Amino acid sequence: MAIQKNICKKVLLLAIFFTLIISNLFAQKIVRYDLFVKDTIVNFTGKTKRAIAVNGQIPMPTLTFTEGDTAEIYVHNELNETTSLHWHGLFLPNKEDGVPNLTQMPIKPNTTHVYRFPIIQNGTHWYHSHSGLQEQIGMYGNFVMLKKQTDPTFRKGIDDLPTVPVVLSEWTDYKPENVHRMLHNASDWFAIKKNATQSYSEAIKAGHFNTKLKNEWKRMLAMDVSDVYYDKILMNGQPNSDLTSIDGKQLKAGDKVRLRISNGGASSYFWLTYAGGKITVVANDGNDVEPVEVDRLIIAVSETYDIVVTIPAENTAFEFLATTEDRTNSASYYIGNGIKQLVTPQPRLKYFEGMKMMNGMMMMNGDLDDMGMSMSLNQMDMNVVMYPEITGEEKSKDNGKMDSMSMTSNAGVNDNQYNSNALSDIVTLNYAMLRAPARTNLPKNAAVKELKFELTGNMNRYVWSLDNKVVSEADKILIKKGENIRIILYNGSMMRHPMHLHGHDFRLLNGQGDNAPLKNIVDIMPMETDTLEFNANVEGDWFFHCHILYHMMSGMGRVFTYENQSANPLIPNPKLAQRKLFADDRNFHFMAENDFATNGNDGMAMLQNTRWSIGTEWRLGHTADHGQETETHIGRYIGKMQWLMPFIGFDWRYRKMERDAMGKVRGEKNLFGQTNTKDNRRQFSLGVAYTLPMLVILQTEIYHDGNARVQLMREDIPVAKRLRMSFMLNTDKEYMAGFKYIVGKNLGISTHYDSDMGFGAGFTFNY
Amino acid sequence: MKLFSLIAAATLLTITACQAQIKNAKTATVKVYGNCGMCETSIEKAANKGKTSKADWNEATKMAIITYDSMKTNAESVLKNIALAGYDSEKFLAPDAAYDKLPGCCKYDREKKTAMLIQTTKDTMAAMQNHTNHQHEGMANAAQEANQLIAVFDSYFSLKDALVKTDGNIASAKAKDLQTAINAVKMEKLPMDVHTVWMKVLNDVKEDAENINGTKDISKQRDHFMSLSINMYALIKVAKTTETVYYQFCPMANEGKGANWLSKESGVKNPYYGSQMLTCGKTVETIKQ
Repeated sequence: MAIQKNICKKVLLLAIFFTLIISNLFAQKIVRYDLFVKDTIVNFTGKTKRAIAVNGQIPMPTLTFTEGDTAEIYVHNELNETTSLHWHGLFLPNKEDGVPNLTQMPIKPNTTHVYRFPIIQNGTHWYHSHSGLQEQIGMYGNFVMLKKQTDPTFRKGIDDLPTVPVVLSEWTDYKPENVHRMLHNASDWFAIKKNATQSYSEAIKAGHFNTKLKNEWKRMLAMDVSDVYYDKILMNGQPNSDLTSIDGKQLKAGDKVRLRISNGGASSYFWLTYAGGKITVVANDGNDVEPVEVDRLIIAVSETYDIVVTIPAENTAFEFLATTEDRTNSASYYIGNGIKQLVTPQPRLKYFEGMKMMNGMMMMNGDLDDMGMSMSLNQMDMNVVMYPEITGEEKSKDNGKMDSMSMTSNAGVNDNQYNSNALSDIVTLNYAMLRAPARTNLPKNAAVKELKFELTGNMNRYVWSLDNKVVSEADKILIKKGENIRIILYNGSMMRHPMHLHGHDFRLLNGQGDNAPLKNIVDIMPMETDTLEFNANVEGDWFFHCHILYHMMSGMGRVFTYENQSANPLIPNPKLAQRKLFADDRNFHFMAENDFATNGNDGMAMLQNTRWSIGTEWRLGHTADHGQETETHIGRYIGKMQWLMPFIGFDWRYRKMERDAMGKVRGEKNLFGQTNTKDNRRQFSLGVAYTLPMLVILQTEIYHDGNARVQLMREDIPVAKRLRMSFMLNTDKEYMAGFKYIVGKNLGISTHYDSDMGFGAGFTFNY
Repeated sequence: MKLFSLIAAATLLTITACQAQIKNAKTATVKVYGNCGMCETSIEKAANKGKTSKADWNEATKMAIITYDSMKTNAESVLKNIALAGYDSEKFLAPDAAYDKLPGCCKYDREKKTAMLIQTTKDTMAAMQNHTNHQHEGMANAAQEANQLIAVFDSYFSLKDALVKTDGNIASAKAKDLQTAINAVKMEKLPMDVHTVWMKVLNDVKEDAENINGTKDISKQRDHFMSLSINMYALIKVAKTTETVYYQFCPMANEGKGANWLSKESGVKNPYYGSQMLTCGKTVETIKQ
């Protein structure tokens, strides 16, 4: 008996020993990838352009691991600039997170950097460059972590389906740096390309003159749901592609296919629709959710969704369509074999309805008013007023009026005015419908730290921030290891923002109680309030930012950092790193314009960043009595809406004045009775510019000789799609009015009348 | 004179230059389904993208000659545009919504789509056969009998949806479907209790469907829909449908007297007011099966 017991013990020990070895073997499985990052030339539109390819391909290769593996990724930088790779949504040591100047120094040209970390989760994620604007031109790819077959959460019928990774992205022929600059300069070229100028003449035609007037009265520029016009939309690098077989097996009727979709677009949200029936959502941001059937969903920038679609018929391929939120462009994926059944495209937005909606929400001080609707989780989509498929086709003038009357009479009663799922048969996914299959509660006894952020921004100047502070203006946010962090986000800006947290998943409190879904991006629409919480469990500096690339580069983010954490060995000089990190949103953007006209040469050049503006204007007449002048202003924008800008200025002007009978120069008198000579005048000034309703700029200046000048000015009044009007008048009795027709991105034809220089016409070049 | 001819030559040059010349032109001849002169206009309009592509469709042969700039586009994307305008071809099936929007004379026979649907029905039939083989014969019969009325209910629900959308045209078309479904019912095969109710409501239901089909005036359609809904309710109470149905009531309809309707969703979408008062009303009875 005793012997038997002993043997038993031995066997048991042996068994334990073997299990250890085996599990060790599994844990030791190192999966290595070599990524060669290199400049490349692409041709998506008929023009050859620069892009960045990894291992010769766009998107970057899909990296596949199984939970328990160790990832070893060698990044060989063969570019002439620095780079980095961020593993989006992954739990890893901070120094592997891939944010240049925060978690590591940038990877220098012609060097190799190794990322090495254990894979401790599963799901669909993705990876991308976190350096500058490289993500826009090719540096995005899928990152798939498979469940172990033995995983207790393995879902038969979902996790064993034929699966395809899909990366969504967009392409523009413009250099991303130029896109960024144009956004900051409020260029409306993208709106022209999208046919979304929303000018006065278009407003009148649509019976929305008052809407437009009210919109400008409230100091808003034409509203749109996205900022950038893209030439092509890509799924796995192609605008159109066929999926006829998976792993060598032809697809046939009745087959179910799982798509692992990541939105690698730099700034585009995509509507996903399918010609073959309902879409079943099975995971979001790499975390399983209980399957939910929908007709369509919108995928925010940088989100991932796993969906299952069914091929309902033989000899037919069914279109899976990704349409940009502004509905100007799309990419198609045909799933199945045979004739292609198309899905109904998303109809064009009703922009003026959107404008009317924004007018209703916007208060005169620039804050938004949700009129008592508490909004969250994408359930109420104010944009439904623009969706013809939900709220009906655009009305003609007469019955439009009728309808708006009945709408207003109901506005108070109807709680579902913006609830897309209540308004139509089309089921649209929203966050409240996501439910984790298991409980996701945080550790119970941990201290709770609550943080509140308001997402702030200013479309006119393209400044995006949290609590009106950009990354470089705010301190890092200190948190303690072990704490539960609860973040309450309110979006007080006019655009939606996909807010992304590095290194942690958070629970999105969405009414599903213990089963709140785990996410690492929350898309938050204007006026929404969302609450998320996570357990602070990995030390490091973790970025929390808006994932719209151009918003992030403008400084919309914060850094979470753990108290008393050990130094990051990859950041030898933290001060230098921080300065470089801050440089992103401190960047100045340059713009210039010159009008070569028959009566003179007018122009201006400006350097601007988040707060500062350095601008100079010039008017050079061809003759002495037309005169020549320049004005330079250096100013700082004040307040959230940045309507106020105090400045110091310097003027120089030379103008041969008429002389009276005595041969004396007849000085001009201004409205205040002050005389000023324009003949070689050098003046310093102090002043303030204020944006009035209707976007008219009121500029008041006092010169060092005591003269004062008050000026009203408005440029770029959108008269028609490509026609702009401008005017200026001031107390020096100078005035100007002109028209400009926009021919191209950098060229206009203009005509103006100027009190000094008379009538003229010419060409305007702008940069 | 010399100057004049120069100007003339220049003008001529400009004119030829202005005519959309397609560079790198390639042509393809493909079958596009359609049936009338109006179809020709819309097919060609959908294909015509200035200097990039154009098409010439022949009504008699149904063949389209597609010319396109091979550097900028391909025959497939031209065909896709044509399909998005509602016209099937060898490569693409138009979205149903696009086909439904075509004017009456353009509603060509969708050979391609029908082929797909027949195939699908065969598949599902085969699947069902497989399924029912394992079950009792009588069960299959019962299912068939219920199926007869399911078509009636389904077209009623489609009609209701059209009224929710305040679309008189579609409502009229759906009422036609309802008439067809009613006529297809083989009364003698209905179970006894259903049969009795069916006999009772048949004439009224027929008349309402006919009246709704006969007009495009939404308010008249809604009037008939009130009595139709009451009869449908009586019918659905006895007949077994496969899913839960909600009997709903809007107190404001029928000039304040109130009116009912049936819906497959618990959420209220009012067919008597549409978007004017979409969510006015409540569920008064949940009919579970």
